[in-house]
Amino acid sequence: MAIVKRPKSISAICVIAIILVLLAFPMLFTPSIKRMGDFIPMILGIIITLQFVSLIGIWHMKRWGVQLFVIMFFTRMITFMFLELYTFQFYFNIFYSIIFLVFFFIHYKEMDSNL
Amino acid sequence: MFLLLLKESILFAWQALVSNKLRTFLSLLGITIGIFAIITVFTVVDSLERNIRSSVQSLGEDVVFIMKWPWTFGPDYPWWKYMSRPVPEFNEVSEIMQRTKSIEAIGFKVSSRKIVKHRNNIIENANLSGWSYGFDKVKSFDLSDGRYFTESEANNGYHVCLIGDAIVQALFPYNEYPIGKTIKIAGKNCKVIGIFKKEGESMLGSSMDNQVVIPYHFARLFIDVRSENSEPLIAVKAKNGIINEQLKDELTGIMRSVRGLKPMADDNFALNETNLLSKNFDSLFDIVGIAGAIIGGFSILVGGFGIANIMFVSVRERTNLIGIQKSLGAKNYFILTQFLFEAVFLSLIGGIIGLLLIYLLTLVLGGVIDMEITLTRSNIILGLTVSVLIGVISGFIPAYGASQLDPVEAIRTN
Repeated sequence: MAIVKRPKSISAICVIAIILVLLAFPMLFTPSIKRMGDFIPMILGIIITLQFVSLIGIWHMKRWGVQLFVIMFFTRMITFMFLELYTFQFYFNIFYSIIFLVFFFIHYKEMDSNL
Repeated sequence: MFLLLLKESILFAWQALVSNKLRTFLSLLGITIGIFAIITVFTVVDSLERNIRSSVQSLGEDVVFIMKWPWTFGPDYPWWKYMSRPVPEFNEVSEIMQRTKSIEAIGFKVSSRKIVKHRNNIIENANLSGWSYGFDKVKSFDLSDGRYFTESEANNGYHVCLIGDAIVQALFPYNEYPIGKTIKIAGKNCKVIGIFKKEGESMLGSSMDNQVVIPYHFARLFIDVRSENSEPLIAVKAKNGIINEQLKDELTGIMRSVRGLKPMADDNFALNETNLLSKNFDSLFDIVGIAGAIIGGFSILVGGFGIANIMFVSVRERTNLIGIQKSLGAKNYFILTQFLFEAVFLSLIGGIIGLLLIYLLTLVLGGVIDMEITLTRSNIILGLTVSVLIGVISGFIPAYGASQLDPVEAIRTN
């Protein structure tokens, strides 16, 4: 199994992104989200969890991590737009995700394509 | 094939949990406490909110109340302006009726606290309300027995009354039939003609259970109806198809002309709606909910760290076994699924125990306090979802680490 050394920039981004994802977790319990429907916290929770999983993949320098991160970025945006959640968090998420994606794609070729 | 793998993963996870009972119990305790904390807060807040909403609805969603004080609160509340306002008066009811086109029903009400007595049974400070004839059409209530005042009884101030369930229990403790009996209200004889259906405790204190209702013209014999202490109000209900905003516009014009206000003068009355009360409570519950979300959310995350820790130990203990499984052909995703299932199981069991504890708590509280507290479907879904997701978040790192182990090195590990 090929062991790819993780660049420091990816390490730093992963730590920051994991903290941001975990901090987003209590958002599931806010009254405004709960009021949208019984299953909305579940949908947002799955998105947050899969974003976390994608970051673990990127930490291990796996391409599937970047691919899952891109999918979850768009899924999250579409879900927020569908729910009309144009909050600060929505724009902040676009801002930092794009910066992270630039770094991820710079190192994409160095990443392992296996599971 | 997939189902077989799934079944095998579940069995492996189950065996691992059963073989370390104490460790399993201690690690799922974190999630149990987290789920218990957050869902208890939501259950109590939801129950309070539901109770207040039903109390507000019983006041009438399509009713506008003409009062001295507005139902708005906040830091910029100019109470000194409202202090000098006059209170609504009974004669304004007929003035409004003569000038309006959009009103279906109108009623006047005053309130006070008086001694109510039947033989040796006395209630000090009973809630007493004096209603005009039309008030029954703007206030929603049900009678378990008897009837409401006739127009003649109301307009001539007959000594008749309707009483709530708690008043019946206090004045007629030996299952006497109250209808037709005479009770004393503030020293005056009064015949009971109706009993309100039991409503239970109301958060706004608007339950009919503790009320004694008499005609307004009887009430004014011993209640100072021009005093602010008697909380006089005019309740107005719009005709079908007329929204509250239209009604309020019309009432503003009518009340200004009735009170002879100059064009530039401020209104000296408040038009209150029940949705003003709801809005005030909504913001209060939002604050409590957000506080609960932050505290509960982080306590669940801490519970997740406990599970992650125990999963790392579990992977370490079974490294040798993982090596054997991989050398016999087990795929990476099988190892990953196996440990992930173990974490999710652990977390889910913790969450279910937390929810069961909350259910027991609601049963106990339901017996102690006179308010319905229920564990709702949305809170159960939320509790189970969060348990599963925390299981995935806390179990993924150790499970992925286990799946990436080299079989040769893993077998060598002691």
